[in-house]
Amino acid sequence: MLNILIVGNGQCGNRILDAINREAFGKKSRLAKFYSQQKYKSNVQTIAINTAVNDLKEMKFTKAKDRIHIPHLHGVGANRNVGKHVFEDNKTHIMRQIEERGNFDVCFVITSASGGTGSSFTPMLVKELKERHDYPVYAVVVLPFREEGTLYLQNAAFCLRDIRESGADGIILADNQFLKQMGGNVESAYNGINDMVARRLLFLLDALDSEMMMVTDLGDFKTVMSGGAGLATIGFYEADTDMPVRSAIQKALSPSGLLFSSDVYKEASRAMVIIRGDKERLSIDEISTEVEKLSSAVGHVFKGIIVRNGELPQVLAVLTLESASELENLYSIAVDAIKYERDKKERVATVKEVDRAFSQIDGMDPSY
Amino acid sequence: MVRVARLLVISLCMVFFCLALAGNAAAVEIYNGSITAGDGYQLNNYVIDVTDAFPSADSASFYIYNNGDELDSFLINVGDSYEFDFEDNAQVKLTLISVYSGTLPVTKVSIILNNYRVSDLFESSVIDGGHEYATYSGTPELKIVKSVDKSEVNVGDVVRVTVTVENTGDDAAVDVVFSDPQQAKFVLTDNILGEPGRMDVAVGGSPKKIYVYDLKATEAGTFSLNPTTASFTNSAGLDFPESSSNSPTVIVNAGEDLVNADLEFTTTLDKYTVNRNDEIQGTIKIKNKGNAPATAVTVDIEVPDGLVFEGGSGIEVISGVPKIYLESFGVQQEKEFNFKLKAIEVGTYTLSMKNSYLFENGIDTQLKEVTSDSVTNNIYVTKGQYDYLFEQPIYVYVMPLIIIGAIAGWIYYRHKQYKF
Repeated sequence: MLNILIVGNGQCGNRILDAINREAFGKKSRLAKFYSQQKYKSNVQTIAINTAVNDLKEMKFTKAKDRIHIPHLHGVGANRNVGKHVFEDNKTHIMRQIEERGNFDVCFVITSASGGTGSSFTPMLVKELKERHDYPVYAVVVLPFREEGTLYLQNAAFCLRDIRESGADGIILADNQFLKQMGGNVESAYNGINDMVARRLLFLLDALDSEMMMVTDLGDFKTVMSGGAGLATIGFYEADTDMPVRSAIQKALSPSGLLFSSDVYKEASRAMVIIRGDKERLSIDEISTEVEKLSSAVGHVFKGIIVRNGELPQVLAVLTLESASELENLYSIAVDAIKYERDKKERVATVKEVDRAFSQIDGMDPSY
Repeated sequence: MVRVARLLVISLCMVFFCLALAGNAAAVEIYNGSITAGDGYQLNNYVIDVTDAFPSADSASFYIYNNGDELDSFLINVGDSYEFDFEDNAQVKLTLISVYSGTLPVTKVSIILNNYRVSDLFESSVIDGGHEYATYSGTPELKIVKSVDKSEVNVGDVVRVTVTVENTGDDAAVDVVFSDPQQAKFVLTDNILGEPGRMDVAVGGSPKKIYVYDLKATEAGTFSLNPTTASFTNSAGLDFPESSSNSPTVIVNAGEDLVNADLEFTTTLDKYTVNRNDEIQGTIKIKNKGNAPATAVTVDIEVPDGLVFEGGSGIEVISGVPKIYLESFGVQQEKEFNFKLKAIEVGTYTLSMKNSYLFENGIDTQLKEVTSDSVTNNIYVTKGQYDYLFEQPIYVYVMPLIIIGAIAGWIYYRHKQYKF
C-alpha cells in the first residue's frame, strides 16, 4: 500500500482537495460523510493550507484536523511577495503538521498558479519537502482564465517558474481557460473543473495501488513524469455508453479529454495509459493499436489495464510534454501583463495626478 | 369428675344465696329497749302504744293502731309475747321483757318482725306520746293535665300550652320536679311562667298551673306534644313512680306564607366512554324551582382518582376539591357551569356532587339548610389510542433508543470531525 500525501494550497487547492475527499466517498450525497467511509486504496493523507479562514470553512469533506489555517488577516490579496513572507514565518508550523502524518511514497501539491496563498506557498513548500524528504513531489497547477486580470497572469507566470525551480519532480497542468468549454455558470464551471481534476487524480491514485492485468506502478509514473520539460497533463475519458475501448482511448488523448490543451502526438515526451473496465470490453487488439499509435509518436508508453467486472471503459493518460505551445501563449500574455503592471506603477509614481489635484487648495481654509 | 365437682360448687352457691335472701325475710329483732308508759313504738303506719305498766304485777297493757285507728289491745306478763299481723302477711312479735318503776312505769320490750324486709321499713322508732303523735305515710297522686288553646293551626301559628297539676292522693307530693321535653317541629317563642322548679303539691285544692308557654309551629303535620312528667315523694319521703300528663294532639296545616327554595342540580357529561388521556366536558346546571331565593349555594365535585379536574368556569379548587360557590341564587334563576376532566387511568368511575344551600322559609328565625348528593352515570375509561406503546417490553423501547442514540452519537462525532 502506498503512502500518499495530497496538499491543497490556497482557495483553488483547498477546493480540489475537498472534491477529492468527496469523490473518495464514492457517493454524491452531501451527507455521505456521516454514513460512509472514504474508499482510498492507499494510505492517503490530505492537508489543506490557507491564509483565508473562510476558504477552509467552506470545505465540507475534509476533516477539521486536516485544515491548517495560517493566520494572516483574510488572505494575502493575490500578492505573492506577502505570501512568501507568511510562509516563511509559518514554515515550521506547516512542516510540523505535515511531518506529524508520517513518511510518504509520493506527494501531490495542488494549487492555483494565479492566486495569492497557493501560488506563493507551493514553490516554497515543494522546496522544503524536497530538502527534507526523498519522496517525489508533484505539483498539480491550475492555470487561470486569460481574461482574469494582469495580476493573476503575472502570478501564474512567476509561480510556474518558481515551482519548476523549487525542485518539484513534475508539474501537472490543468488550464481553466481550456476547461471553460464546459459551459454553465461560474460556480458550476469551477466546481466542474475541480471535480474533473479530482476524478483524474483519484483514478491515478487508484491505479498506482491496484493489481493490474498489465502493470503500471509508482515507478512507471515517476519515469513518465521525469521525461520531457517537467510539465505534464492528464487525459481522461469515462464511457457512458457501451463503446469500443479504442474510441475511449482516442477521446482521452484528444484535447477535450486533457486538462491542458496540447497536441499529444506532437508535444508529448512520455506517456502512461491506464485502462479500466470489464474485460469483455477491453479489447487487447484495440488497446495495442492505440498505444502503439501513441508510442510511435512520443516514444515510450507505459500501459496498465485494470479489470473491473461490469464497468464501462475508462481511460487515464498521463503525458509529459516536451513543449507546450499553449504555455508559450500564456507566458507571452503574462509578459504583456507584467509590463502593463510595471508601467502603471511607474506612471503612478512619476505623475502624481492626485497630488496635483490636492495642490489646488494649498493655503486655503474652509469657511462656514 | 371435674364436672360433678363444678355442679356441686354451683349448687352450694345457690343454696347459700337462697339462705341469705331468706335471711332478709326471716325474724329480725327490730327493737329491744325501754318504752315508757304513755309512749309508743311506730313501725311504718303501725303504732304499739304502751297504755299502762304494772311493776308490781310484772305486766303491761298495749294498744295496736294502724294509721291512728285502733286494731287490737292486750295485756301480757313479763316473759310473755303477743303477735299481730303486719303489712304484707308479716307478723310482729312483741315480748315483754321486764317492767320497772320510775317517774312513770317503764317497760322493756323486744319487737321482732317476721317475714318482712327490714329495708322496707320507712319508720321504726319510739314515739313520745304514742299514736297521737305519730306521722303516718300517705300516697300522693298527681294528676297532670297538658292542654292547648288550639288543636289545629297553620305553620307559623302559635299554640299556647298550659300544664296543670292536682294532687288527688291522700298525702302531699313532696319535692316534685317537673320535666317538659322540648317539642320537635315547634319553636318555643315565649315561656310565660318559666320553669316551675322544685315544689310540694298538697292534697286537694284546685289544679295548679305549672307551665304556660307558646309554641310556634314550623312544619306541617299532626304532632302529639310530649307529655310533662313529674317525679316526687310523699311526706314520709317515699319515692313514687313518675306521673305523666296526657299528650294533646296539634294538627299543623301548611300555611300560605311558607316559602321554599328548591334548587335542582343536574350534572351531565358529553361522553361516558372515553379513551385514556381523552378529555371529558361536563356541565352542572343549577335551577331554582322554588319560590324563595337561596344563599350559600355550594356544589363540591368529588373527582375520583382515575380522573383529573382540568378546570372550569366559575369553579375553584379549594383544598383539592373543585367547588362552586354562589352567594345568592334567585327564584327561577338558572346557571350553567362547564368543566373539563381528563381521564388518566383505565377504569369505571362516577362523579359525585355534594350540594347544599340555605334559604329563609319566612317562618323560622334561622335559615333552613338543604343538602343533597348526586352521582353521574358510570364513566368508562378505556385504553388510549397509543397505550399499547407503553405495554411493550422494555427492550422494545430501549433498542430503538440505543440505535437512535448510537446514530446520533455517530453523526455528532462525524460532525465534530468535519466542523472547522
